[in-house]
Amino acid sequence: MRSFRRVLIANRGEIAVRVIRTLRELDITSIAVFSEPDRTALHVLMADEAHAIGPGPSSESYLHQDRVIETAVRVKADAIHPGYGFFAENARFAGACAAAGIVFIGPGPETSRALGDKLAARDLARAAGVPMVPGSDGPVGSLDDARAAARAIGYPLMLKAAAGGGGKGMRLVSSESDLEAAWSLTRGEAESAFGDARVYIERAIARPRHVEAQILADASGRVAFLGERECSIQRRHQKLFEETPSPAFDEPLRARFAEAACRIAKRAGYLGAGTVEFILDPSGEFYFLEVNTRLQVEHPVTEMATGLDLVAEQIRIAEGAPLSFGDARVPARGCAMEARIVAEDPRAGFMPSVGRIERVRFPQGPGVRNDAGVYRGYEIPVYYDSLLAKLVVWAGDRDGARRRMLRALDEYVLEGVHHNVAFHRWLVSHPEFAAGRLSTRFVDEHFRPAALDPGRETSEIALFAAALHEREERLRITLPPANGAESRSTWRWPERRRSGPRTRR
Amino acid sequence: MKLWVMLEGRDAEVEFHTEGERLVVEIEGRRLDADFRRLPDGEVYSLLVNGRSHEVRVSPGGAALDVTVRGATIPVEVRHPLEKVLQATRSLAGAGFDEVVAAPMPGMIVAIKVKAGDLVARGQAVAVIEAMKMQNELVARHGGIVSELLVREREAVRSGQALMRLKPVTA
Repeated sequence: MRSFRRVLIANRGEIAVRVIRTLRELDITSIAVFSEPDRTALHVLMADEAHAIGPGPSSESYLHQDRVIETAVRVKADAIHPGYGFFAENARFAGACAAAGIVFIGPGPETSRALGDKLAARDLARAAGVPMVPGSDGPVGSLDDARAAARAIGYPLMLKAAAGGGGKGMRLVSSESDLEAAWSLTRGEAESAFGDARVYIERAIARPRHVEAQILADASGRVAFLGERECSIQRRHQKLFEETPSPAFDEPLRARFAEAACRIAKRAGYLGAGTVEFILDPSGEFYFLEVNTRLQVEHPVTEMATGLDLVAEQIRIAEGAPLSFGDARVPARGCAMEARIVAEDPRAGFMPSVGRIERVRFPQGPGVRNDAGVYRGYEIPVYYDSLLAKLVVWAGDRDGARRRMLRALDEYVLEGVHHNVAFHRWLVSHPEFAAGRLSTRFVDEHFRPAALDPGRETSEIALFAAALHEREERLRITLPPANGAESRSTWRWPERRRSGPRTRR
Repeated sequence: MKLWVMLEGRDAEVEFHTEGERLVVEIEGRRLDADFRRLPDGEVYSLLVNGRSHEVRVSPGGAALDVTVRGATIPVEVRHPLEKVLQATRSLAGAGFDEVVAAPMPGMIVAIKVKAGDLVARGQAVAVIEAMKMQNELVARHGGIVSELLVREREAVRSGQALMRLKPVTA
């Protein structure tokens, strides 16, 4: 067993910041890496050390394996935390870390190879006797093969990149006429995002819920189940809102679910933090989807409900230590929810938005956590994911968490780019959401952009504000200040004197 | 002072009176107490209307002021009441404009699905843009004949950059 003194974070944005926080609490030196446009990003400001790794495009920086590993060796990092995305589920990268004598904080290359590939993961789940969604047995080579396989499986169906993840490289196809366009878009996305154009087909389940098991496994073979998360609220197959526990679960279902997830993890010889994803159909049957061999974006809801620090657990496990709670069952308390605050415009098809954060004030108060990667004046680069922050709340029960979320969203001030705070307010206020009747079709079924149109009261406030602003401007122009320029700047005066005329910056 | 205010198809005249320390706003026959204070950070105001508290940001937009209230940004035009008369006399331009398909965000054009001279239907996909790791199809809003392609595949584009021009099909 060793203990890490220096850990490099091969990531950026809110997750890099999140990992740095735990490293600091553990007295481990945090080492950030950054691309050129990220020179002044929050993770660089917060880390103990920061090193440049190349230009903006991910393939030349955060996804440039040689540069990341060379940097880690040069700065004498003991271990690399990959966050999520980028190298988090890349077996080749995990192997290269081992070859360079650096610990990869995550499962070994064999495990991520076996589970990161969705097709191999299906084979493993089949062998473990866990139910799966019917689909093609392997990758589908051509559009004609896809047509044939689709006829056998039936529409609607899902096209999925074998190397996919995080909702990228995945499309719903409702009929044969949509297959051709979906096929080329999915192949293109798979090739450019994952460098692997293999695509397979799964039957689409009508009105499914997306539920997943958080597991943690140590080197001695212990596998702990840390509760489920429901992540049914999605758009473009990407999660927008998560909660634990799932409103669809009762204790018997939870027990069966935990058992299936742990069976897959044990069969794979899993090590570290992982997530076993399932879909739950309206009758209460669940089907295996895939294993994410990484820390999930939505891990904070599990942390809020269990009181554990999953990054700290990951580090302990990578150091060779057993789970901090040993063989004890980890009880989950209350209800936690997470809203992903994303730079996108829900009123224009959730189109990504870029720009400068002109103003920001994050919510505070009881039961609120906000994991953000941005600050005032920060310019959002075009190269990366559009996730800006994650607003997480905890309360004793689901309705309390829902109200707390709404309150925190009301406090959220974020200006300069389009974002989805108003969408989340709509969501948590929706009666179907309040009743816990969720499915991955929720947004398609219930959301209309007009729901976010400012109401009459808001429009009227805008009208007053514009008129009052204009009035002030006109008064300022027509009436010169009574006693010259001094009257406007007296409040700055003491500060200016203190800093002196030469040292002003 | 009297101002003419327009937003989202609605317009109203707003009149201000000062009564001692109080500022009274008159709109559509209603009289409301207003208190408007600029916060130290510059563009943001605290607005009290009959005691109800609002936080608003007013920043210069294109032709209008952009007012942000509870996360919603609403363009509002404020004019002198005389301009209302002028605008009424102005006639609207005729129909039959060219359609320009523009990039909705910065990114890279990964595919152009039409060529010059093609007839494009309303809603037809004409290009694919990749930004933030997602590929999105861009569609023609009105359709027409492709008169000019302004970018090539694999080209990086700015937000709002024109990608192609479509001529309307005359009946």
